[in-house]
Amino acid sequence: MTVAAGIGYALLALGPSLSLFVSVISRKPFLILTLLSSTLVWLVSLIVLSGLWRPFLPLKANVWWPYALLVLSSVCFQEGLRFLFWKLYMRLEDVLDSFADRISRPRLFLTDKMQISLAGGLGHGVAHAVFFCLSLLTPAFGPATFYVDRCSKVPFFLISAIIALAFVTIHTFSMVIAFEGYAKGNKVDQVIVPVIHLSAGMLTLVNFASEGCVIGVPLLYLVASLTLLHCGKMVWQRLLESRNQSGPALR
Amino acid sequence: MATGLPPLLAIAFLISTLLPLPISLAGEIASIESVPDLQKLMYVAVDGYPCVRLLNLSGEIGCSNPGLSKVVAPIIKLKDLKDVAEPHTVLVTADEMEDFFTRVSNDVSFASKIGGVLVESGSSFQQKLKGLSPDKMFPQAEFSPYKNADYKWNPTASSIMWKAYNFPVYLLSESGISAVQEFLSKKEMKHKTFTSHVAEFNMVMETTKAGTHNSEVCLQEGSCLPLGGYSVWSSLPPINVSSSNNRKPIVLTVASMDSASFFRDKSFGADSPISGLVALLGAVDALSRVEGFSNLKKQLVFLVLTGETWGYLGSRRFLHELDRHSDAVAGLSDTLIETVLEIGSVGKGLSGGTNTFFAHKTRVSSTTNMTLDALKIAQDSLASKNIKILSADTTNPGIPPSSLMAFMKKNPQTSAVVLEDFDTKFVNKFYHSHLDDLSNINSSSVVAAASVVARTLYTLASDSNDASNSALGSIHVNASFVEELLACLLSCEPGLACNLVKYYISPTNTCPGNYAGVISGEPSSKPYLGYVSDVSRFLWNFLAEKTSVQEGNTTSVCSKGSCSKTEEVCIKAESNKEGTCVVSTTRYVPAYSTRLKYNDGAWTILPQNTSDSMGMVDPVWTESNWNTIGVQVYTVQHSAYDNAVLVAGITVTTLAYIGIMVAKSFITKALKQD
Repeated sequence: MTVAAGIGYALLALGPSLSLFVSVISRKPFLILTLLSSTLVWLVSLIVLSGLWRPFLPLKANVWWPYALLVLSSVCFQEGLRFLFWKLYMRLEDVLDSFADRISRPRLFLTDKMQISLAGGLGHGVAHAVFFCLSLLTPAFGPATFYVDRCSKVPFFLISAIIALAFVTIHTFSMVIAFEGYAKGNKVDQVIVPVIHLSAGMLTLVNFASEGCVIGVPLLYLVASLTLLHCGKMVWQRLLESRNQSGPALR
Repeated sequence: MATGLPPLLAIAFLISTLLPLPISLAGEIASIESVPDLQKLMYVAVDGYPCVRLLNLSGEIGCSNPGLSKVVAPIIKLKDLKDVAEPHTVLVTADEMEDFFTRVSNDVSFASKIGGVLVESGSSFQQKLKGLSPDKMFPQAEFSPYKNADYKWNPTASSIMWKAYNFPVYLLSESGISAVQEFLSKKEMKHKTFTSHVAEFNMVMETTKAGTHNSEVCLQEGSCLPLGGYSVWSSLPPINVSSSNNRKPIVLTVASMDSASFFRDKSFGADSPISGLVALLGAVDALSRVEGFSNLKKQLVFLVLTGETWGYLGSRRFLHELDRHSDAVAGLSDTLIETVLEIGSVGKGLSGGTNTFFAHKTRVSSTTNMTLDALKIAQDSLASKNIKILSADTTNPGIPPSSLMAFMKKNPQTSAVVLEDFDTKFVNKFYHSHLDDLSNINSSSVVAAASVVARTLYTLASDSNDASNSALGSIHVNASFVEELLACLLSCEPGLACNLVKYYISPTNTCPGNYAGVISGEPSSKPYLGYVSDVSRFLWNFLAEKTSVQEGNTTSVCSKGSCSKTEEVCIKAESNKEGTCVVSTTRYVPAYSTRLKYNDGAWTILPQNTSDSMGMVDPVWTESNWNTIGVQVYTVQHSAYDNAVLVAGITVTTLAYIGIMVAKSFITKALKQD
């Protein structure tokens, strides 16, 4: 498929992340650090999960329920890890705030905290895209293309890039929702993030059916756009609240 | 709104978990567990046999990639090749092959449409095909000792293997055919508009790279090697080389071990000439069980030549060495050779329950009459076996293409007979083609020929006209041995991995490629065994064991191929086994053109010498070197599609960037801060 197509697939999966990185994350070094550490946390979670599942591999290719079990256990584990990641972040936030007090600088604004959670989510999403899409993309730079029997309308690399883009979106914005949910104790937000993650994971199982990707991928994008909308709505509400609360002091 | 969304998501989740239940998983998928697995599925390697570039003094023949890079061309069936703009990979079936290549040589515009050729020659075509012979109508006519070079020994021949083609040609094996057909069947279903199935040929020949287009230049540049190999001769009983007197006259029996076809690695040559070789070995096996050979009046010598297809390299070099009394032929001399009997194609003699063979003689003389009489005696002693030996038709211009032509050219007074299964023209309709395999011959014909030859040789060696029935009647050819040997030399299962061959050597290949190949390294009578082909090594070990005499009861072992006594040779010493020392006179004789000389690691062509009449017409065949040869098939997308993907990626990135900028401005406006 040549270099042009290879770059195209890479940009499809990671282009928006690149844009986000360039426009928001790269401005503040702390955000870059957050992104890197959350990428690392996600990769570590994958290593642990693969270690746990190693005795059961390889899974039979024509039965779907072991895969459902795999997705379920992975999502639960990663959501648990997300909570711990948040706890760690709270500790860090206290440290940063007390440091700011000591040197008589303003504390973290609401937008700062949201940017940190955004960077965290982006870290997860980039790790997912690199692991599940980019690592398979090397053959795409060669002359041949590949079509999978069960999703024969589009090349394998294209569908993999599209799915990776959906997951990048989901991971990035669900981290923002989650952090706000844990901080405010909002049960809806706390529950909705694992639900989104799990449903996205389960929707990929639809691709097992012959031509299932025709249904599965649009539904996945539905979930991604719902995540985006919910996040946007939540952020907008929080910003309006805090602006109405008080003038300069935004927590 | 805030309360509406979570229930919506909950419903979506529920639906998604319920959806997989009624969906049945369609079919088996090849599980891809790593990126190399993915690459193997994308690039399907196709198994087969190439046609390679061969050169002679005036030019080249055979096939090759036209340039230095791989050839990538879309696959199309021959019948669909009408008006195409660019070169394609053409799928040709075996029955279309001869017409196709003839047309390519004659029609330049047709040839320009060919990027590469894949030949399908499955077993289904073999029934349809009446004959296929890519050789000439009179093979190696330039070496014939008689003037009539227009006589058609092989009338259905097409001569396609002697032409040069500027594209790669690849014969698909059975697994290759199924791989390609499976691959193409996916095409019919979808994406005709923006994908195409291509074959990629990696058959770059070094002579193309080096720009050397004839033997002389390519040998100088080192981009090719001369064709040749190692012939083997053995004497029964062993000759005492040190005592030069009391030498008996020699009855020389000749067969060849090399064949050729359009495709280098698929040339079993079952009828021509391997049936003759197996008949010789069957006769040797039978004679080895006869007692008292040292009391007979004459000496038997068995000679198996290689390189005969490429200008009678084996026989010319053997005769040359005889003239020079070299080490390779110590114990022999051309004055001692009284009679020569060659065993040609003997695999198709069976018809209507009788095995009929024809004896072609070089000239009328008392010696040839003696041979014909011996053949008759042998035939009569085998009366129950329905074997008939007939003299060849006197209207034939002379002997058929055989090693005896080289003997005759060297010495027109040679008295020799060649035994064949045909009279006025070849009965082998697949002469020198990839279809001359085990199914083309009859093992009982080979057994019959072996029986006749064994008894003829005994009669000639004992030089008695009376058929001493007891001794003659005790000579029996082991039919199961002959059949086992045919399966070893003419098939890939078991091929050279059969027990018979593995008893003597450890073969490097399982599939016997009876193509002579190139001669590597310095030619000598004691060559480095790594450069000697499997079949030559097998013959050497086999003949050495069968013609050996046991001295006493003790057999000494040898390692590293050397025995203490000079008349002993070390046999069965491969694969780290300890060999056995036996008393035998068995030697390798290099087979290469008399026009070539090996000097300091390089080959040079000697100038023409009028005393070497055969060297004057010798084309001096060489084979180009190459790096790797392979064919793979894969699907490519049209470049428009690739560019569309790139544009989509850039668009998505840019749109995301714009979206983020818009969101940022919204948020800053909402805050009036940051």
